[in-house]
Amino acid sequence: MVSSHSTILYTKNLRKTFFTKDKKDVQAVKGVDLDVKKGQIFGFLGPNGAGKTTTLQMLTTLLTPTSGEAMVVNFDLKTQPQKIREHIGYVSQSGGADRTTNAIQDLILQAMLYGLNLDTAQKRAKDLIDRFELTEFADRIISSYSGGQRRRLDLALGVIHEPDIIFLDEPTTGLDPQSRARFWEEIRTIKDDGTTIFLTTHYLDEADSLCDYLAIVDHGKIVAKGTPTALKHKIGGESIIVAMKDDKELEKGKNLMEKQKFVEKIFVRENKLYLFVKEGEKLLADVLRLLDNEKIGLLTIELSKPSLDDVFLQETGRSLREGGEL
Amino acid sequence: MKFIQDTQILFVRNFKKTLREPLWLFIGIMQPALYILLYMPLLKNIGNTSALPLGKIAQIFVPGMLIIMGVSSLFAGFGFIPEIREGYITRLLVTPVNRFAILLAMVMDQLFTLLMQSVILIFIALLLGLRTSVIAVILSLILVIIVGATTSCISYIISISARHEDGLASTVNTLYLPIMLLSGIMLPISLAPQWLKNIAGFNPFYYAVEAARELFLGNFTSFTIVKGFLIMSVFAAVALWFAVRSLRKMAVM
Repeated sequence: MVSSHSTILYTKNLRKTFFTKDKKDVQAVKGVDLDVKKGQIFGFLGPNGAGKTTTLQMLTTLLTPTSGEAMVVNFDLKTQPQKIREHIGYVSQSGGADRTTNAIQDLILQAMLYGLNLDTAQKRAKDLIDRFELTEFADRIISSYSGGQRRRLDLALGVIHEPDIIFLDEPTTGLDPQSRARFWEEIRTIKDDGTTIFLTTHYLDEADSLCDYLAIVDHGKIVAKGTPTALKHKIGGESIIVAMKDDKELEKGKNLMEKQKFVEKIFVRENKLYLFVKEGEKLLADVLRLLDNEKIGLLTIELSKPSLDDVFLQETGRSLREGGEL
Repeated sequence: MKFIQDTQILFVRNFKKTLREPLWLFIGIMQPALYILLYMPLLKNIGNTSALPLGKIAQIFVPGMLIIMGVSSLFAGFGFIPEIREGYITRLLVTPVNRFAILLAMVMDQLFTLLMQSVILIFIALLLGLRTSVIAVILSLILVIIVGATTSCISYIISISARHEDGLASTVNTLYLPIMLLSGIMLPISLAPQWLKNIAGFNPFYYAVEAARELFLGNFTSFTIVKGFLIMSVFAAVALWFAVRSLRKMAVM
């Protein structure tokens, strides 16, 4: 099996076919190849029913793959599932907290299930309660927690044994924007501890701003892979839009910009200049400086970026936003 | 060692949960207690037959109630289904915890409740005139435990495939009545016509009832006792094996 030293998860042609009672085969996952590097936030982006959860359940030893190979934390999924379980964490869509107890007791239970002794379990539970700011309600029954509070507890349960990699299935579904932003912060701090994060999502903004690397999945197959930036660059069409004071300035601006090497295409509409570029963020300042040097007056300047939805659109012919599932 | 440790950790958790709702202890005991209070007196007036000799009514009726209380562990899945739905069981399955330990901790918790109920039931029966030996009570309690282990496992298997309380309720209710009638707990099967006896012979719980009766009557040398223990033990082992298999293979939520 080929894998570089920093690979923590590797799959080759991973498949899962469900056999239903009326003998119709449902191919939920149709040959997935993954290479997840240590320390990444790896995003598995796709619409509902794309096979994300099924893939995750195979990688976490809950489902047996129909065929294909997989290595998780240097252990073979087929022959060493027990070893894998010791090194991974998993937070399912429904969480998994024991609703009938409180956060302290549930965290201690989780730590002990991973073989930690009571003293260590209590210490870890206390640390995580402080860290995820659960103190205020840590001794209350879990069924009374809000969605955001419960998600933070779920995450704490998932990392209490300090796993090498944690799998999060649709971690922010159903959270309000504030709780989501907070949850993202928690995920980033887990990454800073050196834990690899593998998450599924159908949110474009989550995939874009949180994940280091993405695999876009549709109908059980990966349709695109790369960093969010690289995926969007592949689409091209990032543009800097400059609105000019008047036609005279517009003409001057156009002449100036046409001479610049970084401008791939130029396009004028009404009083606006559209400059098609790569890595527009870095070029915004250059454009401003060039215009200023020539004393060309402008009203506004903005950067228009291609979105991951454009990537999905190009690969599948459908929009993730318009899926009706979102 | 890890297996024992895992079982212990999970049993303590399950037992704490059970103690939080002690009402279940009494709900489970209501039905058999009412039978002893309101039905058993009727048997005394049926007349002196070889199947129901006068003066031995309690020794024949109470063991049946004990066994049927064990059979009631068919309802154990009602506490388990919410745990599947809420993802708690999936969470356990992702940890390195031994699968058999997960099952055993659930069964043991159920059996602990059953044991408490059985002791209370026997105490009530003693107050109402049951006369038997300590050894008979102890052996009967062991038999009830084996019955309860079997039926709770069956309940967990049904729960894993049904995934919903409605499915479990309809299946269990369908099973419960024929098991009860074919065990001869209301009246001994020896009163039944041959064809009914033949059908009852396929019901393993019938042998448990017969064995418990011999124990309460003090016929300790009867082969019926050995037969009852043997059949129920095999049945329990098979149920445990299938239950841990479905837990291992359960498609997760």
